[in-house]
Amino acid sequence: MTALDTVLALSTLAALTAFLFGNARSYAWLAGILLTGQIVLLAGMDLPTSASLDFTIFGQTVGWQLDGFGRFFALITVGAALASVSYMGGEWGERYAAEGKSRRWLHGSLAANVMAMLLLLASKDLIAFFIGWELTSWAGFLLMAQGTDRALRAALRYVPYAMAGAMAVLGGLVLTLAWTGTLDLDGLASAMPDLGNARLAILLVLFGTGFAIKMGLLPFHLWQTPAYAEAPGAGTAFLGAISSRMGLFGLGLLLVKMITLSRLADLSLVDGLFNARDVLAWIAALTIVLPTFTALKQNDARYLLAWHGIGQSGYMLLGLVVGDATGSAGGLLHVFNHATYQAALVLSVFAVMHRTGTADLNSLGGLVTRMPLTFLVMLMGIIGLAGLPPMNGFVSKWLVYRSLMMNGMPLLFLMTVLGTLGTILSVYKLIHNTFLGQLRAEHEQIREAPWSMTVPMLVLVGLGFLTGAAPGLALRWVAQAQAALGLPVMSYTLGGIESARGSLDMLWVVGVLFAGFGIGAILFYGVGNRSKRIHQLDNYAGGHFLSADVRYHYSDNFYAGLMHRIGPLYRGSFVWLESALASATDLTATLMQAWYRQAVPALALLAAVVLGLGWVIWR
Amino acid sequence: MSQSSLSILLLGALGLVGIGVGGLVLSRNLYRLVLALAVAETGGNLLLVLAGFRPGAAAPIIEPGRAVAAMVDPVPQAMVLTSIVIGVGVQAFALGLAIRARAAYGSLDMDELRGRMEADIDAEAGAPPAASQHAPAIARLAGQPEAKP
Amino acid sequence: MNPSVVALVVALPLLAAFLLPLVPGSARRVVGPLVLLVLTGIGMRLWDVASVAPVVLAVGDFLPPLGIVFYVDSVAALFVLAVALLCLLFWPWAGEGEHLDRKQSLTLILAAACGGLAVSGDLFNVYVFYELAAVASYGLAAGGRGAAGQVATFRYVILGSLGSLLALFGITLVYFMTGTVNLAHLAELAPKALVGVPGLAAFLLILLGLGVKAELFLVNAWAPEVYATAETRVSALLAGLVSKLALLVLVRLLVLVFPLPGTHEALLVLGLLGMLTGELAAYKARDVRRMLAWSSIGQLGAAFMAFSVPGDAGLVAGIAIALHHMLVKPALFLLAGRWGGSLGRIAGAARRSPLGAVLFVLFALSLLGVPPLPGFWAKYLLLSGLAGQPGGLWWLGGLVVLLTTVVEAVYLFRVIGALYSRDEGSVAADQSATAVAGSGMLAAVLLVIALSAPVLAGTLDRMAVQMGDVDGYVTRVLTPPAPAVPIGVAP
Repeated sequence: MTALDTVLALSTLAALTAFLFGNARSYAWLAGILLTGQIVLLAGMDLPTSASLDFTIFGQTVGWQLDGFGRFFALITVGAALASVSYMGGEWGERYAAEGKSRRWLHGSLAANVMAMLLLLASKDLIAFFIGWELTSWAGFLLMAQGTDRALRAALRYVPYAMAGAMAVLGGLVLTLAWTGTLDLDGLASAMPDLGNARLAILLVLFGTGFAIKMGLLPFHLWQTPAYAEAPGAGTAFLGAISSRMGLFGLGLLLVKMITLSRLADLSLVDGLFNARDVLAWIAALTIVLPTFTALKQNDARYLLAWHGIGQSGYMLLGLVVGDATGSAGGLLHVFNHATYQAALVLSVFAVMHRTGTADLNSLGGLVTRMPLTFLVMLMGIIGLAGLPPMNGFVSKWLVYRSLMMNGMPLLFLMTVLGTLGTILSVYKLIHNTFLGQLRAEHEQIREAPWSMTVPMLVLVGLGFLTGAAPGLALRWVAQAQAALGLPVMSYTLGGIESARGSLDMLWVVGVLFAGFGIGAILFYGVGNRSKRIHQLDNYAGGHFLSADVRYHYSDNFYAGLMHRIGPLYRGSFVWLESALASATDLTATLMQAWYRQAVPALALLAAVVLGLGWVIWR
Repeated sequence: MSQSSLSILLLGALGLVGIGVGGLVLSRNLYRLVLALAVAETGGNLLLVLAGFRPGAAAPIIEPGRAVAAMVDPVPQAMVLTSIVIGVGVQAFALGLAIRARAAYGSLDMDELRGRMEADIDAEAGAPPAASQHAPAIARLAGQPEAKP
Repeated sequence: MNPSVVALVVALPLLAAFLLPLVPGSARRVVGPLVLLVLTGIGMRLWDVASVAPVVLAVGDFLPPLGIVFYVDSVAALFVLAVALLCLLFWPWAGEGEHLDRKQSLTLILAAACGGLAVSGDLFNVYVFYELAAVASYGLAAGGRGAAGQVATFRYVILGSLGSLLALFGITLVYFMTGTVNLAHLAELAPKALVGVPGLAAFLLILLGLGVKAELFLVNAWAPEVYATAETRVSALLAGLVSKLALLVLVRLLVLVFPLPGTHEALLVLGLLGMLTGELAAYKARDVRRMLAWSSIGQLGAAFMAFSVPGDAGLVAGIAIALHHMLVKPALFLLAGRWGGSLGRIAGAARRSPLGAVLFVLFALSLLGVPPLPGFWAKYLLLSGLAGQPGGLWWLGGLVVLLTTVVEAVYLFRVIGALYSRDEGSVAADQSATAVAGSGMLAAVLLVIALSAPVLAGTLDRMAVQMGDVDGYVTRVLTPPAPAVPIGVAP
């Protein structure tokens, strides 16, 4: 029994026990132990490790083997699940169960997600990949559908997307088999670049669509926000942290390992007007910008974060497609970084929801004094999300920026900067409307979130800070992933990267930053501290005392001036596209059904005979 | 039998099939539909018998001690026999169904029966009738049953 | 094994059906199930023997091509087994409404006819058994819910009779071009005698004729009405069993008698349209029962498409899809017995019957082809068969399969969403214990298949090779057996 077998067995055991004992209060401990075991085994595993599940069916060998690329994602997956499980184990889970919702199903679907993703990440051939892919999709559906009817409806919206993606992948799979005769990923890595341009383009579109849907790339992103946002908190954190990255995993295998980036650059579309690599880079760039600015308009904190989750995936793909050592390292590192701060942010929003009962950004405010730890988590989280030092989000984005500049792609760089601008604007809205400003009277009695919730969040942002100050800790796994994909491996140090054309040492950056803070603090508190603490409701405006029932914490239409400028640019084109497609299907279906409601079935038979005989004679 | 009378029979058989199928397509009355089916099947059977017919041949009955030079082909006749038996049974069955349908819905008109059938299916399934939401208001006023909440 | 056992496949249930009314009182209830159990045993035995080599029986000691031939290869044996088991599963037990005797007799006749269709080795018998199956299914369908059922059955009868007439024309045409109705003999003569316009016309007539029962596009308008009004037991038998046997016969004819250019394309186009129209119509269906009916039309379209792929690849895919659908659709119809109405009626039903809901989800996922359930392998085989063909039409078929699967997912998950809706105050019915037990058994079979898929894949390959072995068929049937052992009824 190999280490991979043990990991898979542990995750299966976790799923089984979750469905058996998930309702028990203390089940989270067992789940935590099983997940920790998986992390330890995964981290200590020799690579590549095979599983002994291989079987042969219809002439194809189906097998599982984990390499550095898969292990990188697997570690993040299990880690995110661990954070979610520990969040579930405390008061949040108790409340969830007390509301009449099933903890068994929540634990079960989370464990099923982990198991499915591990199977996907360890696949050695396309059939194993597809098995994992489908299991991941439907386990994801299960997790999304937990809790409320709204969640169920959002998950049902995911169904056509998931199935369309799966069918695109399956179509690509059978065509690959027909054209290359193999489904083995390593075999395809040598066979696929030799395919002709037309065939390669077909495979690229089919597989690419499937992976893009999962990842939420434009224009297939609409399902993701409601599905992720409406899921129960722990589920939202897990989904937001890692679930859609499976699409990136697929794209990595497809674009980098099988087709290879250089072949991709040779693949010209529309008579050489574009090459496929540029098209993908621009899709990634648009995925950064448009969803980020959609996030800006959200008034529900969960939706805002979910939109950012889509936007951030654009950075990952962009880095991967640029494909040099720093760019791809940045893209991959961003997967890890995003998982840490996104999970922390989602959990902090749900901590606020746990106490206040709402995530509506228009009905919160001023909670910083009541929930300081949660505020700290959200602050560090948004610093990471916005890509500012000292958090880890800065490192990965810096690597992507740098590689775009070095490779002479200023327009794409501009797009990423635009995206970052939008991110900063909207995360400020998030933290301002939640924690800053006036406390609402009904939130006067709010307490800090319980330890069972703050500890996982603090651990996550702590991790984000640690890997921000010492990115080398995470870059080790990234380098292995790069090597497994056949990308150039970036040489890294504990503090960042060393290179002749510009280094980054986060230890220094963080040191200088905190030295600055320290000096500022000394100046502020030591030299001329004239601040005076007043009660939060003790407010004056224009010389008048404002009582608690007068609202001066403006959250509605937050960026009114900006929206006045850019508001008309929001067209809702994708929503229109989606509903147009649905209407077209509906109309066709009505026509088809009309066929079966025919008044005289004999007429159809007669017509069939006449047409058929006509075909026989004239063919 | 001469060649010409054979072709007349053949034409007649084809004509019967045509009349029958025409009736099946054009009639709305259940009884006529059964009749049309009977006519079509008769025509079909006649066609088969004729196809197996050989001029001047004897009936395909082998008796001991009597050698026959030419026999009509027995296989189509056997098929026709089966077809007639089943056809009669099915027609009787269809008539029985027609009687039941009339007893229940008070009509033999296929269009009306179909409408009633669809309405019954919808009502049993708890779905609103198919046309009610999109039909022009005038049709609904004209007495189409409204969906019961 | 004595080959004359094969005759029992038809004779036993038929005899039992007609003698049933004569059996006194309480013993009458056990006759049918007993016969079907015996049939199950025969099916298993036949499967064992036929997987080594097909069994040939010349009934009444008349040697082929003159006499009646029964030919049992492993596919036929499996279908015999399936006929027995499904008839047993959907047996009209006491408490299934009135006219129990009639329903039992009709079910036995249906079993005999379906068994006969599976093992028949000549066109004439195919026709006879097809008509027998038709009559039995008319009778069963008419026993459904009230007057709407009578009207639906009437329309079914008209269409079915017209189809039979067409098939008869086709068979006669074949007979006059070749002078034989024996399939083996036909297989020998077909390459020379059954060509050109008349050959293709004969195929088309038989295809459209038998296609009425196989829910082939253009002649399948009866299916939604009948399935919506008949008892779900009957719908399950018609959709699960009768359609598959009509399909099996068509495929046998395609393989043995009509290896013509054009036949595969015809099958492909009709299957493609069937899948497109069926799945889309199901998308718009407003109640579960008709949704399943349309979905069954779509799935049979997929089976037709699979069989349209030339060579063993097509046979493997087609057999896989047909068998899978034979397992899944009856189970879904069973569950639709209580949950057949509109989505509003089943809202929240999962809370009342969690096991039933889980079973529904399982079958729905397998129908969609979610790995590692067996439906995935069927879909994989279908798609890789289609992708392996060079032409644009085949790829179009593959595209239709992919797109309609998305549509299928939407409507099936709409039902699942309704089942698991947390809508309070719904009045969804509890699932009946028999339906849960029956579909639970089918689910167990499904899961066993899923777990042993690698082994069963080999079996499936062998079945397809045996079915596609035209030379073997001809040799086995037409070569006289060793003279020492008399076959059948000795004179």
